[in-house]
Amino acid sequence: MNSIWEVIDRAETGPYMEERDFDLKVVAKKCRELVKEYEIRFDPNEIVTTDDSMADDVYEAGMRLALEAGIYCINTKRIIKFDESEIKEGILSAPKELVIGQGRDSRVLYARGVEDPRRAIICGGQAGAAIPEEWYLPMSISYMKEPLIDMINNGGLAVVEGRKVRTNTPLEIQATRRELMMLREAAARAGRPGISFIAGESSVSVLGDLAIASERYMRTSDAHLVALLNELKTDYDRISKVVNFTEYGAFNVTLVDPIIGGYAGGPEGVAVCFIASFLLGRAMYRSEYHVCHPIHFRYMSTSAVECMWNLNIVGQAMARNAPFIIMGDVWTSAGAGSEMIFYEIAANTITNVVTGTHPLGVSATNGKYPHASGLETRFMAEVAIATVRSKLNRKGANDLVVKLAGEYKDKMGKPDIGRPFPELYDVNRVVPKPEWNSLYLTMKKKISDFTGLEI
Amino acid sequence: MNHEEILRNLAESVISGDEEKAKDFARKALEAGIDPLRAINEGLMRGMSRVGDDFSKLKIYLPEVMMAAEAMKAALSILEPAALQKGAGALKKSKVVIGTITGDIHDIGKNIVAMLLRANGFEVYDLGRDVPIDDLIRKAEEVGADIIAASTLLSTSMPYMEDLISLLKERGLRDKYIVMVGGGPVTREWAASIGADGYGDDGEEAVKVAKELLQRVKGK
Repeated sequence: MNSIWEVIDRAETGPYMEERDFDLKVVAKKCRELVKEYEIRFDPNEIVTTDDSMADDVYEAGMRLALEAGIYCINTKRIIKFDESEIKEGILSAPKELVIGQGRDSRVLYARGVEDPRRAIICGGQAGAAIPEEWYLPMSISYMKEPLIDMINNGGLAVVEGRKVRTNTPLEIQATRRELMMLREAAARAGRPGISFIAGESSVSVLGDLAIASERYMRTSDAHLVALLNELKTDYDRISKVVNFTEYGAFNVTLVDPIIGGYAGGPEGVAVCFIASFLLGRAMYRSEYHVCHPIHFRYMSTSAVECMWNLNIVGQAMARNAPFIIMGDVWTSAGAGSEMIFYEIAANTITNVVTGTHPLGVSATNGKYPHASGLETRFMAEVAIATVRSKLNRKGANDLVVKLAGEYKDKMGKPDIGRPFPELYDVNRVVPKPEWNSLYLTMKKKISDFTGLEI
Repeated sequence: MNHEEILRNLAESVISGDEEKAKDFARKALEAGIDPLRAINEGLMRGMSRVGDDFSKLKIYLPEVMMAAEAMKAALSILEPAALQKGAGALKKSKVVIGTITGDIHDIGKNIVAMLLRANGFEVYDLGRDVPIDDLIRKAEEVGADIIAASTLLSTSMPYMEDLISLLKERGLRDKYIVMVGGGPVTREWAASIGADGYGDDGEEAVKVAKELLQRVKGK
């Protein structure tokens, strides 16, 4: 049986290759060939697709890429390969349901299906952002006090005790521990002491991660992200994170974020690369669940049309063929405090919920600015619930998503970045300021009318 | 084959990323008596300009841009020496030293910027990922760079960009180089706050800013 021990062995003994050759002669070449062979086509007018055979083709192409490419280890320049039986074992043993969190705050996180009638699990927070130390606690509370939010993935700290944190230095340990201390405090203050975290975002290298494998910081009902590097790569820092959490007993979550326009090519090649990444990520990291995050080479945002098509086709391909538990990111170009963010959230969330992923966000401004709060994530949750309640199918979802995207896609180059958290919330009472609350109510009504969903 | 056809083929060899064809038509250009500088500007650069446009519209992707840059490099290895013989200095290109800064291994964004700079006629020294700041400065000194460009996807590697500017000041080299920064968490405001000269939201803007700064600061 494959294990993390075997992965470490293969990182040291697998076939040697120059990185540029892996990028161009393996990933780029194979993705292009497979897209052509399977005739996979992205259509901007069909963001949510109804063609099951295309989803199955994307899956099959991704499986072939996984078998042919493997994962490149940057440190050793060797390829960690897996055979078909190992990848299939990874699929068969992948959890379909998982209890996360503790006590009354625990939730059952599950592998979502296409047009799944169940309520999606809502993961809130401005994941990926660097959040100022002085706002971190109230901002985290703003998410946790939202009853519709089931679990938390907030950003990290780039400054601790007034000192700028530099990657791979001692301050990374302190920043990661401080992040977890504040999350615990926020959970207690919000009356959600058992809420599950995806955390340790301040740990860019393995340093912070090693420092939080303790009940005082991370519980075994919590999770950390372990990225696959672009494309189909890993390194010893990532593998060390897996070793640490595997032995500690908390959840490993693979973060997969291929770049549209990068080595895998356009939206179609990225979809194939996604499947390979999920399958290999499971085989290599033994992750219990996964995050799907297509990156647009210019806008970054998952709400870009090409990215939502990817969330859609990858979600469906996996749900139909290898039902993993997958969170679909909701990263917007606009910031909290703007009107535009509501359109992006609605389109992105409808796409995720109908096609097999649980929404995770809102990472407003793509995490560039701390212009985020619990309120827009409440809206994300409300859209997710309304989508399921209205029994929206893929065709209906596509009509709405195309219409919603039409309201913002031309503004993504120069989005309204909104306002920082303290301008949106009363930070002492941790409630939205009247102006922000009023905009939320107005936009909720506007988007309800615009889509016909009872949000 | 007339001059126009040769120049068109040179451009097409770059667009299709065909190294052999690029070298072949570079030789044909010289044999036909085309001024090498004209072959570069109206053949290779025209092709690269189309590659840049196509990439910005997502008609092609990073691998195609990389192959186009390789084809251009192959043709330049034939045309450049010939151009220099005709008048050294005419070909003087602006030099950029670029790298993903200390602590960060994310390099695709940086690779895109490096490729687009090459496509726009810059001589690019790409030091790769996790590059210590003194390596960036050392290389810039060694090659006589005009621009030092640093990228990161990590907010915890952004302070190293500040360190880069501080170290340049400490060593009395700040005025010698244009410093550009970019990457996921880096913002225009932050770039200005640390005293960087330029910032690009994406590869396209990075090239535009590099050209503007060269003209404004260095008169190139």
